[in-house]
Amino acid sequence: MENPQMVCAEMVEATEFPELANQFGVSGVPHTTINNGKGHVVGAVPEGDLVLGIQKALLN
Amino acid sequence: MSNLLNEDIVSQIREVFEKMDQPVHVLFFGAAQNCEYCGEARQLAEEVIALSDKLSLDVHDLDADAELARAYNMDKAPGMALTYKDGGQIVDLGIRYAGIPSGHEFSSFIQDILLASGRDSGLSAATRAFLKSLTAPVSLQVFVTPT
Repeated sequence: MENPQMVCAEMVEATEFPELANQFGVSGVPHTTINNGKGHVVGAVPEGDLVLGIQKALLN
Repeated sequence: MSNLLNEDIVSQIREVFEKMDQPVHVLFFGAAQNCEYCGEARQLAEEVIALSDKLSLDVHDLDADAELARAYNMDKAPGMALTYKDGGQIVDLGIRYAGIPSGHEFSSFIQDILLASGRDSGLSAATRAFLKSLTAPVSLQVFVTPT
């Protein structure tokens, strides 16, 4: 919402899209995949941890 | 077809939707084939949208409206995008739902509508500054289950 030109956030119902969940190795929820697998953040983490995860994924 | 939302839930949602600020427009994409939850997801979207005059809904098909689906990066059915209309233009907020938002996800969906309506993410100043500074696209896919 802060930058829709650059950021898209999608809620994916894992049981309806099992192939995608398997592709990203989702074994517990919530599991956030960044840029199609460049990074992963597992769990309902604090906002700052998600930002760190995004920053790390952008370096990959 | 009977309603998915019972009277209690309907009155609760009506109450929280009274706090809605700006209008929100939902783009729904279904698919004619191989979509077990499309019917139910569409019905759920329709029932929710009916609970506030600040909400509107367009129903599309991933295949029949392929060009539009591409324009909004919609590739899953059922899928929804939270947007709003500015004049005649649809403004994308970058919020997507893939699959039916039922169970726990239903309250997230209602919360997301409220956030979208306030045009305010509620994020910290530092996070907002970081997101504004992005020079490369970021896609977040949050895998969830309804229970």
